[in-house]
Amino acid sequence: MKGAVELKGVGKSFGETRVLEDVDLEIRPGEFFSLLGPSGSGKTTTLRIIAGLETATEGTVTLSGKDATLLPPGDRDVAMVFQSYALYPHMTVFDNIAFPLRMIRTPAAEIADAVRAAAARVRIDHLLERRPGQLSGGQQQRCALARAIVRKPALFLLDEPLSNLDAKLRVETRVELKRLQRSLDVTAVYVTHDQEEAMSLSDRMAIFMDGRIVQTGSPEDVFSRPATVQVAAFLGNPPMNVLPAHLSAGKAVVGSTTLDLPRFGALGEREVVLGIRPSEVTLGAAGVPATVTLCEVLGDEVILDLDLGGLLLRVKSPGRKRIPEGERVLAGIDPERLHVFDRASGARLD
Amino acid sequence: MSPQQRLTLVEKPERRFALTLVAPGVLVLAVTTTFPLVFLLWQSLQNINLAMPGMERFVGADNYVRMWGDARFWAAFAFTIIYSGVTVSLQLVIGLGMALVILQIPRAQWAFRMAAILPIVLAPVVAGLFWRSLMLTPDFGIVDFASRSLGLGSHNWLGDPTLARVSVIAIHTWQWTPFVFLYMLAALAALPADLYEAARIDRASAWRRFVHITLPLIRPAIVVVVILRITVALSAFAAIYAATGGGPGTVTEIINLYAYRVSFVELSLGYGAAAAVVLLVLTMLVAGLLFRIRR
Amino acid sequence: MTSRRLRTLALMAVGACLLAIWTVPILLAVITSLKDEKEVLAYPPTLWFTPTLKAFDAVLFGPTNILGDLATSLIVAIATTVLTIVIAVPAAYAFARLKLPGRKPLGFYVLATQLVPPIGLIIPYFLILNRIGWMDSYRGLVLIYMTFSLPFAIWLLVSYFEDIPREMEEAALIDRASRWQALWHVVLPQARGAIAVTVIFVFLNAWNEFLFAVVLGGANVRPVTVSMYNYINTEQTQWAQLAAAALMAMLPVIVLGLAAQKHIVNGLTAGAVKGVGRR
Repeated sequence: MKGAVELKGVGKSFGETRVLEDVDLEIRPGEFFSLLGPSGSGKTTTLRIIAGLETATEGTVTLSGKDATLLPPGDRDVAMVFQSYALYPHMTVFDNIAFPLRMIRTPAAEIADAVRAAAARVRIDHLLERRPGQLSGGQQQRCALARAIVRKPALFLLDEPLSNLDAKLRVETRVELKRLQRSLDVTAVYVTHDQEEAMSLSDRMAIFMDGRIVQTGSPEDVFSRPATVQVAAFLGNPPMNVLPAHLSAGKAVVGSTTLDLPRFGALGEREVVLGIRPSEVTLGAAGVPATVTLCEVLGDEVILDLDLGGLLLRVKSPGRKRIPEGERVLAGIDPERLHVFDRASGARLD
Repeated sequence: MSPQQRLTLVEKPERRFALTLVAPGVLVLAVTTTFPLVFLLWQSLQNINLAMPGMERFVGADNYVRMWGDARFWAAFAFTIIYSGVTVSLQLVIGLGMALVILQIPRAQWAFRMAAILPIVLAPVVAGLFWRSLMLTPDFGIVDFASRSLGLGSHNWLGDPTLARVSVIAIHTWQWTPFVFLYMLAALAALPADLYEAARIDRASAWRRFVHITLPLIRPAIVVVVILRITVALSAFAAIYAATGGGPGTVTEIINLYAYRVSFVELSLGYGAAAAVVLLVLTMLVAGLLFRIRR
Repeated sequence: MTSRRLRTLALMAVGACLLAIWTVPILLAVITSLKDEKEVLAYPPTLWFTPTLKAFDAVLFGPTNILGDLATSLIVAIATTVLTIVIAVPAAYAFARLKLPGRKPLGFYVLATQLVPPIGLIIPYFLILNRIGWMDSYRGLVLIYMTFSLPFAIWLLVSYFEDIPREMEEAALIDRASRWQALWHVVLPQARGAIAVTVIFVFLNAWNEFLFAVVLGGANVRPVTVSMYNYINTEQTQWAQLAAAALMAMLPVIVLGLAAQKHIVNGLTAGAVKGVGRR
């Protein structure tokens, strides 16, 4: 039970503005759980509600089995790493890390041991006498981490902790973070707008759009079976192709092409949106005729923009050869790989 | 529990903490400003003669009525407006102009900053005394010496009514222009350089650049500095007192000085209180107006 | 000479003139204070003379010396500064950062107290202090000095407090600090610069105050701004001594001003940078 998080019916308004609506979350102990979504979707607000920095306007927050809805942050046994790290610039790294322990009057000897252990864990034990201003971005981030883990909290909250690092460092630190969480066996709630980050780190994730959770599940779940068009278009790089189509009697009319989709016969006649991932379109001997309008060579793969009777189809294809613009190709779309969404609501239909 | 009740419950400790922190300050202010002001109002409705204590009489609005017909009061009122208006305008024009000039000579800025600090840290009473003695005294003051050397002859800079007014305004302007200078320098230095680059690429002349880009951007800073300087000009006292004492006669009296003299020289405290009330109302009105502009 | 060079030279000339105008009175005072009284009255005014410290001697050690008044100014200024800071810092923090009930009206009130012309307070103070026997006393004067230093200090500090990132306090609260601990350990150390600037300004204003000092002080409590008037007599003003006294009186604030000029410019212009460029 320690480290479990449960949000039931949580809503939040700031004055007249409604920021969160009907948020239900269930996070299991030891899980690495991400809150993913575009800017302004409510994920950071949700994290702050879990931390106690904001109070939910409606709904309840339960931490480790106890009602924490009205508890102040200091009583919740949570630790948080902020996007800006929020290190205390006038204190040494040692004092920064020691701060949470000093606040509850831990004896000095214990503090020294705990601080050194935490610092060693994130490999900054050689920097303890420096000030945050003298550290690099990556080192500052690890200092913030050390301050969070030194108190052995039940819950670890992270608000886009990697967004201030350069791309390469981000990927490296990502791996370290996951390892750290595993070795500490602590529940982590991680906010990010970077879907690749969320996919690589999480055991499960909740996807936020416009203040609501639109889907919860493991990375595999959300990737292979996105619940709405928005989610589908949000995940993956490049994002999923979304093509408006008219479905009737098992045949979909996409622009000037007709696709035979007996699988969706039961759906009758309706306006739909078809989704297919760029990596699941095959260029070869069979398929729908299309013209290449743009070719990006990425090294091990190429990304092609195809003109499919007026519609844009993006394809990611292994290979290193540039395919010239204007060339006609055949785009193979496997009906088994297609996603179908209702055009009006965006909800998944299959 | 309703959302409102919930929020109130959670925020209670913070609100209590905030009130505790603010309480001493508000208490001191209430005791030292609000209470005396109420007392001032009360005093303005009385006839108080310091030479005859214990003989105070309630006279209602008598003091105000008398002031309405008092030429000396109106002269002080007029001069207050002129004094504040002229000195603040001069401070702004000269201060801003200097800031624009000095901005172009970054290497000399430190010297100007040091020179600017000197008049500002000087006590206004000392500024008044220095000008009165060293600058403006006929026969040995430097201004007088300069004017003689330039063939303009010696003048009674503080004794001639018109010249006295000019001198008093000059002293205030001398002391506070550096403030405007420093303020505007900081405001100008904070402007993003790329705006000017873009304008230069668009071949705008220096004057147009100033009017269309600089001026609108520093408008907020100008308004703030004007508010600050006007409130100081309205309540100026020590420099004028030191330089002319309000004279010759009463020509350099601003309402501030007028109230002081009436109260402590002519010992008519109730009447002086009424004058002070008028000044208070005037100050509030002007400040209110300027704040409205600021929005 | 190129037109650019010419322009720069012209600008420098103008600048030099203004520089002169600002520094001349003080330089003159220095020169005058080093002259013998007879020398002072010489016409045309002499620039070359044999300097003498007679004036300073009289001013500092003579029968009507200002040494005691310098001490008085120091006591009053320090007491005012300490009291003001102790009260203003927590208040400013509450305004800037906390959910203060009645924040807007209270803030307005503090602002409004700054607009009260001193003469409006002197008149009632005169009567009140007389009645309670606090006239010509340190506690009376210091309390009254707070009327202008407190709102100013709060106003100045609030703008600085608003610049401290909120997240640091939030991090402290999550790390189990109480609000007092967060204020003391995290916020105040950040505000050291701001407090320094405020101290300088409060001290400066208290030291230079004249009107309150002359009306509400007296023989016992006579700050140095008032003592200068001793040197102005109806028959024969001692110019050199006057200059010397004024210089001595202003020495602390001039030294403070020049030494802390960065802080002073910073404090003066705290509003300037923020007010700029809002399109």
